[in-house]
Amino acid sequence: MRVEYINPFVEAAFNILKEVVDSDIKRGELYLKSTSQPVLGVAAIVGLAGDVEGRVLFDMNADTALGIASKMNGEDLTEFDDLAKATITELANMITAQAVTKLHELGFTFDLTPPAIFTGENMEVSDSGVEALIVPIELSYGKMEINVAVRER
Amino acid sequence: MSSEILDIQDLNLPVGSNASGYKENTEVIDYKMVTFSLGGKDYGIDIMKVKEISKAAKFTFVPNSIPFVKGVYNLRGDIISVIDLRVMFNLPIPESNSAPENMIILRLEDNVLGVIVDTIDKVVAISSLRIQPPHPLFGDINIKFIKGIVENDDKLYIIIDVESVFDQKSADAAMKKRPVHSSVKGAEAQIEAPAARVPGTAAGDIDYSFIVETLATFSKFSVSQFNEGWIKSRYSTWVQQRKSSGQSVQLKSGIDSDEFLSGFSSPYSGLFWDKDYADMITELLPETDNANYSAWDVGCGKGEEAYSLASALKKRYGSKRIKINANDRDLLSISTAPNLVFSKNTVPEIYDEYITEGKNGWHFVSLIKDLILFEYHDVTNGNQLPPVDLIIARDVISFQPRDDQQKLCDMFYEKLKPGGILIAGANELVFTEGWVPVGNGLVSAYRKN
Repeated sequence: MRVEYINPFVEAAFNILKEVVDSDIKRGELYLKSTSQPVLGVAAIVGLAGDVEGRVLFDMNADTALGIASKMNGEDLTEFDDLAKATITELANMITAQAVTKLHELGFTFDLTPPAIFTGENMEVSDSGVEALIVPIELSYGKMEINVAVRER
Repeated sequence: MSSEILDIQDLNLPVGSNASGYKENTEVIDYKMVTFSLGGKDYGIDIMKVKEISKAAKFTFVPNSIPFVKGVYNLRGDIISVIDLRVMFNLPIPESNSAPENMIILRLEDNVLGVIVDTIDKVVAISSLRIQPPHPLFGDINIKFIKGIVENDDKLYIIIDVESVFDQKSADAAMKKRPVHSSVKGAEAQIEAPAARVPGTAAGDIDYSFIVETLATFSKFSVSQFNEGWIKSRYSTWVQQRKSSGQSVQLKSGIDSDEFLSGFSSPYSGLFWDKDYADMITELLPETDNANYSAWDVGCGKGEEAYSLASALKKRYGSKRIKINANDRDLLSISTAPNLVFSKNTVPEIYDEYITEGKNGWHFVSLIKDLILFEYHDVTNGNQLPPVDLIIARDVISFQPRDDQQKLCDMFYEKLKPGGILIAGANELVFTEGWVPVGNGLVSAYRKN
């Protein structure tokens, strides 16, 4: 993971989440992970292409996702329906887009793919040969892990 | 009897699995013990094993018996043998003043016997959940005779497992071992001997293996075939140095462990290479017709190594397209690397043509900077790097877990082009097949065959 990419992603995640979800958020220690990684239950994914290739995965459990969606919509959602899914997808889009904008200012060109969302139990993600940067974020609704795996072309 | 007690304990175990909370609420008193003292310490014996307590004198001495057998005693018509626990456990015996001795009569599975102790205290009732396993450092009694430790009223009681103490088999064995006419003193010597033997002959090995363990804990340094030579010679000077200054040989903190490892790291770790060292590295690099030259700098830290290498390669292969992948798994160090600034006087003169003064301090010109791609990367995670001409991994292998070291070395082999060079730490040696040592003096280098 190129050093210059790290900060834009961390900053974007922090700024967006603070603004739209929770003013009281904490960032955990960043670390690297490889091989297959378990997914907590709800995963929004945004692909990257351009100078680099890779993807950003937003990983959280269903309760956290529901909490965030409720907060962003300003109403209490009780089940993880289409509205809630669309909300989490949009959150992923906002964070990735801001990170990519920051990177563009630094001279790196990225393109985004439309976000997709996966839900289910006992899921795993594996991308061979790319190690992922994990940005753990503590929200009052629970924990979110932002999993960035990018490599130079 | 004993099975009953065990049953009660077993029944409580499931509750005890969340013992801390359980302890605070209600405590089932299910274990009573007779407490007594031996040599000034408190001990306990399960009350279910105790038939009665009494004071007794006038034991009938039995010739040819083992030293801790005081003799036999007539307990209201029953003849029982009497054992002196203080002799058995090698504890001091108070001056004999012919006063009656305190005796606990035990009822064991197959016989009744009396044991003599210093003083008998009282019966203490506790919850069996509070019995903790014996700590290996606990004193005078062989640990296999200890059932556990329990705290009551600010006193710690050592609970003796009488069944194992007076187990017929071990008694038989003990009898065989002892010479028939051995005195009490002889018995003491025999008891002490095995304990003394262990640290006596193997003290060096134990200290050494302890240091190996603590290096892993404090400095994440794993001793292995790659660095054992240095560690062993360092160990012998370390022992002398610590003993002459009256300090413990063992490493008690990260400071000790860093001190032990001082001198291990390669020259110019965290510094820019000076002319001599850069020349030594350059000498190792072969002529090549290829238009590209790629290098991989593993564990580049804050980047001094990568910049030094980039400058050296620029001088050596000026016309070629040079590319250096530099990575480190320490986020803080690697984050500062791409925009490293420094003060002019820390940089040797040979870099003068490549550095320039910026707003925040001196930095390398983009001619050099653009050769290097800094990445936050843990080398044990694997990567997609294409084969390279040169790998610099100084003092990297030694700081990986022992199991990963050979794997890493194999990966370096795989990632090098044929004839490529691996530069390891100054005190690291690679013995694996396929590597040809080409190092000189301060540089430990290997060529892939």
